[in-house]
Amino acid sequence: MRLRRLMSLIASNLRVAWLRAVLATVGIVVGTGLLTFFLGMGQGLREKVLEKIFPVNQLELEARAVQIFGTEQVLGQEPLDEARVRQVAAMPGVLRAFGKQKSSFPARLWGGKELLGYNLFTEAFFDGVPAATLRSELEAFEDVAAKRKSQPGRKTARCEVDLDCPAGMGCQDGQCAPIVWADRFTESADVVLPCSAGDPCPARLTCSDGRCADASAKTAPLRCLLPAAADTGRDLQFDLEVGVLAERCASAGGWCGTANTTCGEGRYCAADNPDSRVGWCESPLPAVLNPLLLEVFNSDMARSLGAAPIGSLAVLYGVRFHVALGDSYFSKDADKARQQFKQAQVVGFSRKAPELGVALPREVVRHFNARLKGPAAAAAYDAILLDTASNEKVPYVIVEAEKLGLQLSRKSRAARTFGTVVLVTSLALMLLAAVVLLVAGVQIAQTFAMLVHERRREIAVLRALGAARLDVAILVLGEAAAIGVCGGLVGALSAYGIAGAVDLAASRWLADVPLVPHGFFVFPPWSLPLAVTVAVACTILGALGPARRAMRLDPAAVLAEG
Amino acid sequence: MTARLAIDASHLTRTFSSEGKPVHALVDVSLQVYAGEHVAIVGKSGAGKSTLLNLIGALDRGYAGELKVFGQHLKALPDRALSQFRNRQIGFIFQAFNLLPNLSVGENVLLPASFGVDLDHRQLRHRAHQLLDDFGLGDRFGQMPTQMSGGERQRVAIARALLLRPPILVCDEPTGSLDTQTASHILQVLKDIQHQHGTALVVVTHDPAVAAAAGRIIALDKGRVVSSDDYPVARSSP
Repeated sequence: MRLRRLMSLIASNLRVAWLRAVLATVGIVVGTGLLTFFLGMGQGLREKVLEKIFPVNQLELEARAVQIFGTEQVLGQEPLDEARVRQVAAMPGVLRAFGKQKSSFPARLWGGKELLGYNLFTEAFFDGVPAATLRSELEAFEDVAAKRKSQPGRKTARCEVDLDCPAGMGCQDGQCAPIVWADRFTESADVVLPCSAGDPCPARLTCSDGRCADASAKTAPLRCLLPAAADTGRDLQFDLEVGVLAERCASAGGWCGTANTTCGEGRYCAADNPDSRVGWCESPLPAVLNPLLLEVFNSDMARSLGAAPIGSLAVLYGVRFHVALGDSYFSKDADKARQQFKQAQVVGFSRKAPELGVALPREVVRHFNARLKGPAAAAAYDAILLDTASNEKVPYVIVEAEKLGLQLSRKSRAARTFGTVVLVTSLALMLLAAVVLLVAGVQIAQTFAMLVHERRREIAVLRALGAARLDVAILVLGEAAAIGVCGGLVGALSAYGIAGAVDLAASRWLADVPLVPHGFFVFPPWSLPLAVTVAVACTILGALGPARRAMRLDPAAVLAEG
Repeated sequence: MTARLAIDASHLTRTFSSEGKPVHALVDVSLQVYAGEHVAIVGKSGAGKSTLLNLIGALDRGYAGELKVFGQHLKALPDRALSQFRNRQIGFIFQAFNLLPNLSVGENVLLPASFGVDLDHRQLRHRAHQLLDDFGLGDRFGQMPTQMSGGERQRVAIARALLLRPPILVCDEPTGSLDTQTASHILQVLKDIQHQHGTALVVVTHDPAVAAAAGRIIALDKGRVVSSDDYPVARSSP
C-alpha cells in the first residue's frame, strides 16, 4: 500500500474513532510519562546529587578495620605507603591512585573579612593530596582552557608585580597575563617549611638556616621582620600583611628591618613561630576547597551568620585566610616554638578536597605532621584515592582492593549505598511505569479488537478492492503506531513539564536546604525517542492480536453477511 | 472473431462446514464467460449465487475443481499476487454500495489505486474526476457519501469499480437497494460500460428485469446449474 494513502487511511480512521483513540492513548501517555519522569529523576539524582557529593568512579580506600566495641580499629595491617599505592594503581580498571595524608595536628583558621566584612573562626582540618592529581579538576572548575584561549589575542603590558596589571591578570615573566590559579597548587609552592635537627625536610630539600632549602633554586627566600604588636597597635595574629625585609644587625647578630621594604606583592612575612618577630617572605599556602562548602555556607549557615550568600565559586579565587598550624581553639597541642602562623589562599576547587576542610599540597601536610606530631605521623597515608576507568570497573576494583587488605572508606561506602538506593529506587519506579504500560497495552488490545470487529466490513471491502492480508495488518498496526507516537510524545513532554514544575518549586521552597541540587532531573537527549519507541512498541504489541484477526478475516464471508 | 474466454470454471464445488456438518453451497458447477459478455446468475436465496460470485471474484479459494480467469489458475496464486489480480482484473459492485463512510467520494473512487502497483496516480486522479463527471457527480468529489442518495452512492461505487479499467465486473444485486427508476438508470450505465469497454459483466440478481437485460442467464438451484428454461425470467426475456 502506498505510504501516503496508508497515512491518509490511518488519519481518517482515527478521526472517526477519535474518542476511542484518545481513551486508548491515556494509558500510554501515563505510562511513558512515568517512565520518562522516573528516568530523568534517576539520572538527575545520579548526576546532580551522587556525582556531586560522591563521584561514582572515585573511590577512597583505607586499611581494613575491625569493629571493636562499636568503633573501627585497624589491627596489624601493613602501613599505607607508596608501595601499597603502586599496588593499587596497578590493579586492572584503575586509572590512577595516590596516597592521601590527613593533618594529624590541631589547627585553627580564620578569615573572610574581605568577603564578608568580618572574620570567621573555626578549627581546621587538612587533607594533603599530590598537587598533580588535582590538576585537571582545578583547570576544569577554573575553565583554564577558556582563559588561555583568550590570552593570545590580548595586548599584554609589561609589569614587575601583579599590581601593575589590570584586574584578573597577574605579572608573569614580566608581562601581564590572566591569572591561572590552578598553576599555584604545586608541591614546590613558594612556602617556607621550617626545620631543625629533629624535623627533617622533604626528600629533595635540605635543612639550612632553620628552613628547608632547595639547593637548585635560583633565589632564596628573604628574611623579614614583623613589628612588635605594641609598635603597631595591631594583633599580629590577625594581621600578617605587615612586615619589612630584614638583614642581620651589624651589632647583636639578630635581625634588623630595612626601611619600609616589604616582601612584595602577593607575598607576606610569615613568622618563624607565634612568639617570633622574625620570619620569611613567602607566598600563601595554596588551598583547594570542596565546591560543596559554598553550598553549605549559602544555605542555613550564611543566614544564621547574617551574611549574604556567596554568588559563585569565582569570587572565592584569591581569597586569603589565616591558619595557625599546631594551635587550637580547644587545646594547646604543640609548643609555641613549633607552631606556625601562615596565610593560605584559595586557588581552586576539587571534589577530592574534604567537604569541611582544606586540601593542601601533600608535602606541606606531611611536613607539618612530622614537625608537630612526630615522624610516625608522617610515615603512612591515611587513605588511597583512586579513579577507575569507568563506573562498571568499580565492583571489580573493590574486590581486588579487599585482597590487598583494603576496604572502602566510610565516605565511599556511603556513596555506594546511596548509589544503590538511587539505582534500585529508579528501577522500581520504572518497573511501576512498565506495569502501567503493560496495562495500557492490554487496553490497546481491547480497543483494537473492538475497532477491528466494527470495521470488519470495511476491511472486507478493502480486501475486495485489492488489499493483501499484509496491507490490512499494516493498516491496523499503523493506527496503533500513530497512537503510540502521539501517546509517547505527549507522555514525554508532560514528564518534562512536570519535572520543570518540580524543579521550579524546589528552587523556590528548598533553596535554603544544603546540598539540594538546582534541579532534580536530567533528561538524556535519547529520553524522547525512547519514550516514543516504548509507546509505539506497547501499542503495536497490543494491536498484534487484533491485526492478526483482521488479516485472517474472510472477506467473502463478511460481505455475504449483508 | 472469437471472443476471449474471461472465466473458465469447471466442476466447481464449494463446501462449508456448519455445526460440524458439510453444507454444499456449489456442486459441480461449470461455466464459461467471455470478454464483453453480460451474464446474469439467478436463483433462489441459498442457491449458491453469491458463493459463485465470490469464487469468480477471487475472494474465496476454498473450492474444489478448476477456475481460470483469463487463463490464470487462481488457486495457485499467493495472497499478495491474488490481491493484485483482484485489484487489476475484477471490479466489484455490491448491493449495499460498501463505500467507506469516513472517506470522501473522491477518496472512495481512488481507493483501488491504494493497493495497485506501477500506477500513474496523477492520471488516475484525473480518471476519477472523469468517471464522476460521466455519472453526473462531477461536483461531488469532496463530499462524504453519507450526504448522497442511494443511486448516487451506487454510481460512486461503479466509478470505484471502473477506476483501474478491470476487464470483469462482478455485481451482487447492483440494483437491490434502489427504486425502479434509479435501478433502470444504473442498469443502463452497466450496459454502456459493457458495450464501450468490452467488459465482462457477471450480475447476480433476483430482479427479473435485471436478469432479462443480460445476454445469458445461468440459473442455480441448490448449488447446481439448472436449465435456465426452468427460470421464469428467461422466458420473459426479449
